[in-house]
Amino acid sequence: MKSLASLALVLFLAGCEGRHNWLAGAGEEARSVETLFWVLLAGAAVIWTLVIGAATYAHRAEAKPEREQEARRFIIWGGVALPVLVVGGLLIWGLLILRDITADDGALTVRVDGERWWWRVIYDTPEGPVTTANEIRLPLGERALFRLTADDVIHSFWVPALGGKMDMIPGRETTLALTPRELGNWGGLCAEFCGGAHALMRFDAIVMEPEAFDAWLAHEAQPAQVAEGDAGFAVFDEEGCGACHTIRGTEAQGPVGPDLTHLASRDKLGAGIYDMTADNMARWITDTHEMKPDIDMPAYPGLQGERLDALVTFLMSLE
Amino acid sequence: MAGRKKIVPPGEAPRVIDQGSVWILVAAPSIWAAHFLLSYWVAAIWCAKLGRGTPLAEPRWIIAGLGVLCIAAIVGLAALAIRRYGGVFVIFEEITESSERARDRFVGHVALLLCVLSAAAIVFTVIPGMVLGQC
Repeated sequence: MKSLASLALVLFLAGCEGRHNWLAGAGEEARSVETLFWVLLAGAAVIWTLVIGAATYAHRAEAKPEREQEARRFIIWGGVALPVLVVGGLLIWGLLILRDITADDGALTVRVDGERWWWRVIYDTPEGPVTTANEIRLPLGERALFRLTADDVIHSFWVPALGGKMDMIPGRETTLALTPRELGNWGGLCAEFCGGAHALMRFDAIVMEPEAFDAWLAHEAQPAQVAEGDAGFAVFDEEGCGACHTIRGTEAQGPVGPDLTHLASRDKLGAGIYDMTADNMARWITDTHEMKPDIDMPAYPGLQGERLDALVTFLMSLE
Repeated sequence: MAGRKKIVPPGEAPRVIDQGSVWILVAAPSIWAAHFLLSYWVAAIWCAKLGRGTPLAEPRWIIAGLGVLCIAAIVGLAALAIRRYGGVFVIFEEITESSERARDRFVGHVALLLCVLSAAAIVFTVIPGMVLGQC
């Protein structure tokens, strides 16, 4: 019995560790939801104790018909009036949080499109939009407003440690603000079942110092540095990769898949699921559907040897 | 039936909501449903026409005004339930007698409880309109 209880506790607390911990308090919005959670939990504990206490008392006490009137009054106040007031108060509190986290303002605007099964990320800057994918970087302490939509089915955008979540709905735009309060690499994921690779639809949400973030964004806005006659780019071009992928600064301008302009500067490959290494990149190209089932990108098992090496070297140079 | 004290004999009842009629039971929840639907329509049309981020200044007062009217109607219904049906706001109201009067009292009692529930539901519908200031 004891070991069962310990196991249950370990499993329960397992959700409280790490980069997906919604109780980490790494963002302003997560903190406001967390406060509401603790108040609800404490309130529920008090109500449970009072109800069980009253039931125990009622079970043991002798019936006193002369106090029936009093008991009925107690039921009306305690069972009708008080719950209506408490639920009304909680409704207002919850709505105020919702109003705050969806309010249409932020120092930074990031548009995110949910795709099956990856994230198109566009930073709106005064110089124009900067497109990237599957990784979101945010400046510490600044409110970022996310404008969310989806291209195919409903997804849901969630960075548990920072705040959220919010549905991404095709044909509509929803908003969500995140104000990071702690540096770190936090985990993001899709929280609405969206088909085969739903559980593999992830991203990194990296909180940086504002200066470092500005430098990163400025770099991200630059086109890729591709040498004239690059052997890897030649393979990329011959295999038709540019029909789906964009590498800014080259003729590859495909709008279907993730933008690869600064692919190798991302920490992860395949929408937050594999480390960005040359080995993983090679496998991603040849055994695509073993790496991530159901995705639209075709596998290229015939691409081997020098051509594959050249392509991987080229992709890993896109920093 | 004959000789029993009855304000309106069956078959002659000119009023929809009166002793013996069960319409009073559906009236209050229907008012709540109508308020909910109207609030939804007002906000949906307003936001669809004027777009995201538009202030809800006018719609919120329409929703609140409708709420006040609907609650006033429900208070009226509650008064009817008390006056004409003999309904009482009491928990564990035991009505075991088999008579017209007891049946009326039962309908009045249920109608009164539904009035309270519907009024609370209308307040809960108005609150989001008051708190959320824009589409």
